[in-house]
Amino acid sequence: MNNIVFMIFGTFFGLLLSLAGATTFDFYAQLFLLQNPQLARVIGTAVLVGTAGVLLMKRVQAKALMTGARIVFEKKLKQKGLIVGSLMFGAGWGITGSCPGSAPAMLGEGKVIIIPVLLGVIAGTYIYGWFESRRAVDCKS
Amino acid sequence: MYDIIIWPGWLAGAGIGLLMVAFHWVTGKQLGVSRSYCNLWAHVSKLPFFQQKEYTGTGWRIWFIAGIVLGGATAAMIGNQGDWHLQYDMGQAYEALLPSNVWLKILVLFSGGAVMGLGARLAGGCTSGHVIAGIPTLNFASALAGGLFFVGGLLTIQFVAYMVAL
Repeated sequence: MNNIVFMIFGTFFGLLLSLAGATTFDFYAQLFLLQNPQLARVIGTAVLVGTAGVLLMKRVQAKALMTGARIVFEKKLKQKGLIVGSLMFGAGWGITGSCPGSAPAMLGEGKVIIIPVLLGVIAGTYIYGWFESRRAVDCKS
Repeated sequence: MYDIIIWPGWLAGAGIGLLMVAFHWVTGKQLGVSRSYCNLWAHVSKLPFFQQKEYTGTGWRIWFIAGIVLGGATAAMIGNQGDWHLQYDMGQAYEALLPSNVWLKILVLFSGGAVMGLGARLAGGCTSGHVIAGIPTLNFASALAGGLFFVGGLLTIQFVAYMVAL
């Protein structure tokens, strides 16, 4: 049952990404060529509305409706690879005209050319996991 | 090319912001997509990194990403009056920027995806986790990551466009 809730949220997220133009390759190139502010508007408004919502959740000390537990806000720490990783992410974001969230929506739309990108993201995730697993072993020995 | 409906940026952005808040409020989980790819690996890889509880115990991420695929399909169906069909081109901009040879193009897109996937893990999130959900929690690392995402994309595309124009 809970999983269905997550899937419904995912469906609306995918639908909104499509409506936003986040599944249209052209908008990404036009964003980075500074030709069309569509995606900048999308991200800007989403962050503004999101900030208001998060402030409200904090203000009323909101509890999660599904679990009744107090909502926690992840403290994402500045990881060691943050700067290099972010620049790498940006390079991939630009060259593929997609991101890890919009790529699955593009797949759903029937955009076949997104398949190599998705396989790439899966491979890149594996490379990180492989190095992290090795590092963890090295630390123990 | 544009056979999906595009809303004005502010409207779709507001929708995405509201969805992020509703998601957090209802489920108690902070929205973020890129870690779903670790959950996929948790099912097939024995590497200790993917066998952490963070990835084995969070099956919801896979349901969420499956929903995103459904959402994309829904958008295409709405845009085409119920007709869903495969599309092969990337649209004007990328047909001009990327190699015209299909295998080279696939190689570039795969490499780009790999750099993006690895980068997301090094940075600790992607456009959804760091920017859409991270910046509103007033997380400094997220704001820094978001800014650098943009710088990376800007430098890459400006460079590629410059090379293509030569």
